[in-house]
Amino acid sequence: MKCLLNTGRSVPQGASVEHKGSEEYRSVASVCFLNTVDMMMLGIENGARVMITSLTGHVVLTARLAEGITRGEIFVAIGPYANHIISSETHGTGMPDFKSQYVDVEVTEEPVLSVGELMEEIGGLRYDHQ
Amino acid sequence: MIINDVVCPFCGCLCDDLELEVEGDRILRVQNGCSLAEATFMNDTRLPAPIRRTTTGWEEISYDEAVNETADILKDADRPLLYGWSSTHGEAQSVGVHLAELIGAVIDNTSTVCHGPSILAIQEVGHPGCTLGQVKNRADVVIYWGCNPIEAHPRHMSRYTTFATGFFVPDAQRERTVIVVDTRRNDSGGIADEFVQIEPGGDYAVLSALRAIVRGKDSVLPKKVAGISKEQLIRVAGICKNAKFGAIFFGLGLTMSRGKYKNVRNAIELTDELNRHTKFVISPMRGHGNVYGSNEVFTWMTGYPFAVDFARGIAFYNPGETTAVDILRREECDAALIVASDPGANFPRAAAAHLAKIPTVVIDPHLNATTALSRIHIPCTAAGIDAAGTAYRMDGVPIRLKKVIERGYPDDAEILKKIYNRLNGGMGS
Amino acid sequence: MTELLVKNACVIDPIRNINGEIMDIAIRDGRIVESVSDRAEMIDAQRCLTLPGGIDSHTHVCGTKVNFGRYMSPEDMRAGRTQRRGKMHVTSGYYVPTTFGNSYRYSAMGYTTLLEGAMAPLEARHTHEEFTATPHQDMLANTLFDGNWAVMDAVREKNIQKAAAIVGWTLNAVKGYGIKLTNPGGTEAWGWGEDLTSIHEPVPHFGVTPSEIISTMIRANELLRLPHSVHLHCNNLGKPGNYQTTLETFDLVPDLNPERQTLYATHVQFHAYGGGTWRNICSKAEEITRSVNSKPQIVMDMGQIMFCRTMTMTADGPMEFNLHCLHHNKWSNHDVELETGSGIIPVTYSKTSAVNCIMWAIGLELALLTKSPWQCLLETDNPNGAPFVKYPEVIGLLMSKRYRDEECATLHADTEKRTSLCALERELDWHDIAVMTRAGQAKALGIVNQGKGHLGIGAEADIAIYPIRTDSLDPAREYRKVVEGFQKTRYTIKRGRVVSRDGEIIVDGANATFWANAKIPEDIRVDTDPEFIRRFQEFYTVRMSNYPVQDLYLPRGRRVDTEAFT
Repeated sequence: MKCLLNTGRSVPQGASVEHKGSEEYRSVASVCFLNTVDMMMLGIENGARVMITSLTGHVVLTARLAEGITRGEIFVAIGPYANHIISSETHGTGMPDFKSQYVDVEVTEEPVLSVGELMEEIGGLRYDHQ
Repeated sequence: MIINDVVCPFCGCLCDDLELEVEGDRILRVQNGCSLAEATFMNDTRLPAPIRRTTTGWEEISYDEAVNETADILKDADRPLLYGWSSTHGEAQSVGVHLAELIGAVIDNTSTVCHGPSILAIQEVGHPGCTLGQVKNRADVVIYWGCNPIEAHPRHMSRYTTFATGFFVPDAQRERTVIVVDTRRNDSGGIADEFVQIEPGGDYAVLSALRAIVRGKDSVLPKKVAGISKEQLIRVAGICKNAKFGAIFFGLGLTMSRGKYKNVRNAIELTDELNRHTKFVISPMRGHGNVYGSNEVFTWMTGYPFAVDFARGIAFYNPGETTAVDILRREECDAALIVASDPGANFPRAAAAHLAKIPTVVIDPHLNATTALSRIHIPCTAAGIDAAGTAYRMDGVPIRLKKVIERGYPDDAEILKKIYNRLNGGMGS
Repeated sequence: MTELLVKNACVIDPIRNINGEIMDIAIRDGRIVESVSDRAEMIDAQRCLTLPGGIDSHTHVCGTKVNFGRYMSPEDMRAGRTQRRGKMHVTSGYYVPTTFGNSYRYSAMGYTTLLEGAMAPLEARHTHEEFTATPHQDMLANTLFDGNWAVMDAVREKNIQKAAAIVGWTLNAVKGYGIKLTNPGGTEAWGWGEDLTSIHEPVPHFGVTPSEIISTMIRANELLRLPHSVHLHCNNLGKPGNYQTTLETFDLVPDLNPERQTLYATHVQFHAYGGGTWRNICSKAEEITRSVNSKPQIVMDMGQIMFCRTMTMTADGPMEFNLHCLHHNKWSNHDVELETGSGIIPVTYSKTSAVNCIMWAIGLELALLTKSPWQCLLETDNPNGAPFVKYPEVIGLLMSKRYRDEECATLHADTEKRTSLCALERELDWHDIAVMTRAGQAKALGIVNQGKGHLGIGAEADIAIYPIRTDSLDPAREYRKVVEGFQKTRYTIKRGRVVSRDGEIIVDGANATFWANAKIPEDIRVDTDPEFIRRFQEFYTVRMSNYPVQDLYLPRGRRVDTEAFT
């Protein structure tokens, strides 16, 4: 299913933003919000995992229902999960398309990665002491 | 010990009425703050010592080693990038600019992926704004466009707008009309007197439509614009024109959607238009606590608010060319110093990935996603907690952040000065 | 101990009645002394014109609205950029330079002290941060009170003491130097998008008139014994016919101070318009100067415009909005809660515009028609009238009728009949210029006893040596050499150190900031008055304890104590 990716801030994301290695952060940043009907069309329940794919890559997120999301829209908190699939093209403005990128959404059994794992996918090395 | 009138450094609201109870090097309690403030002061876990990446993991190193190696990395680089700056105080930001000038680096701050487009728009059409107290004391119409203050700036409405008692607006809740414009009905939309649900990417058209109505040209409008009915548009324009004092606050909904700085420009021009009928102001909802400070410091020192390139020996500015995401995307920089920010988490994948390919040093009190991409992470003080310094609120008011406890970390301004001095002595002046 | 001896200087020092004497100047540890040892470093001034360091008594170089001007104008940043070189940081900006740009360029012109034209108390911290980054000039801050709620309440209550107490506390809190009123009352009206059209029109909701504000503040200023007088940007700036407002305002001013003026009226060119529309606007410089010539209690500055693109930026929010409606250029506005306003918009002054030509003429007329140069100082309200780098051209025009005639020949045809400039023969001399660019400012600002503006024993060794030989240069004919001569000093000496040599800055700066501290009697202090505190905490959006500017923002603060209420 094709959706328009919208990213933004949330209080839980902001409250744990200085602990990106924490489970608390992972639980809020790796979540995507979909419209009820869209979730029905995908055949998934609240809490199921979905694979979001763009031209840049793919990431697995946990899907949740939310009021106020329109059909064809998918909302993800700003952060490394959303950015894993956002293109770095800025069209000469310096600002990437954080709110205007189209993505494919499909059901998946793949696991949701931790922030550390995401960073390792792009060449980093986790530091796990806290 | 109780400390009054503490300034929360987290978001652009810079609420300065917090009451903290501290004991020794611990903060026990936060009063008056929102949950983001609580988290900032109470969950302040730090990296204990500088760390360096090895082939197999991480090792702790001394501050001197960390500083010296960072200086060497910057010295050897042809095109270093100094990025971030938004969560630290002005003193550190100033040293950053001096450092960038010394080594011919590109220096950029988090505006680049936040309100950079707003700045671009302001550079085209100006910024008719005011300090937040003007809104608190006078505004009878408040519009939140493309932002979610309840989530991102939780006390904005109670301190400055909807719920704040003002001199001319003593019965705030009754006397103020709140309009929320967004693509989805979030919590902020829930408390609005008028919620305007706009199709994604439709802001530019809607702003143009409102401008047309304000100018008396409603006849040119179709029945719907970006999902909004002509009736609602006319109603909203009417509320604006009949306001005694209207204030528009906007966020990433305008800067990040299709059109970006053009959206913001249109919103500013709408404000302009409304000023010919009544009093109207517009302000960006700045995210980080001191991102506006980095704009101010960069500007008075170099002339430009972000994306400043010193490679030519002059201050050079060209968003799209000298902005951090583009420099990383083009794999143009060969070393990076990341201060008080987390591009690893906030930059698109390809840009963040480049940080892992080059020697990257992080100077930040907290472990973050960028740590994993870096070679060295040097922990320092957190401005507003264990370091004092100047921060600029989202409306430009400068407030001094307090140092409320001592945790034994060096101030990032000091670390940067040491790096600067090492490079200055080594390279001549 | 550092010693410096300037030999063979052709000194003009109006405050000490020295007019073109060849002399030596001995300097030790930053001050002028009788003599120095023969170990002193020596500079041979070669009989060049040597003046006390230049003092600008009204310039917009530091603070919120100046920085607004910078970051909204990347095109200007590109226009004025210079490379990093030696001790000099990169600079950007032509009409709104960066702080280092301002400092280096002022230093090259021999200026060592600047008064920032407008500082909003709530944002004073920003001004002081930029002061520190303007390292080669000592700084002073004009502090805005024109829309101050507490002051307007005191004015309405006809309580001069209360007004003085508020001013005293505020200046102490924000390290300000003096009282600045910009469109008094008008900036508060602008909080609602309105303006005032006469000095007798009451401010909405507050019920006081500009005339009352001005009169009360003048008396409060003298009660506080502040070193500078009230500094006023009159109401109705820029409007055809506004000269009436200016004359009415001047008529309000009593003579309350034997040492200096009781009112400093700034950029009066913008306030000297006759006619009633842009079509019939004309110069009323004669009327204005007739008033000033008969009132020793008034000092004004020119507010000269020059033909170029520049940036207007003032606390006069409504005026700036009107300019925006006229020119449609990009416009910024920044009203400051409970205090004042501001607006910023670029403009171009052009010879093809009759109005601009008349404005240009008026500024020069004011200087030429004011009998005493001490009463009409050389300013362009930088950058509103023109960038300060154009001061040398203004000097050239004032000293040379020929230069003026050549310029007049290229102006709009209407200029001659609507101004009287072309008929004025007067040419100012070197002494007049020395008064108008430093001695007069020092006296007006009350900094002579701080050792500024003169070269007597004990004075601060702020000295400008210009490549001008007054004995062989005829300013009336060789005006180009005059202009060049004032553009770049041979040496600019600041507190006994050579900071600039032939336009190159050669040391890092260490400037001082002067601020006024009036001692207020305990029983009328506002910071212990529960009502003042209550209103502050309720209506401002910062806490009262976070408002004052901490001492560390002034690394070299120079507190000027006053014997207030005596």
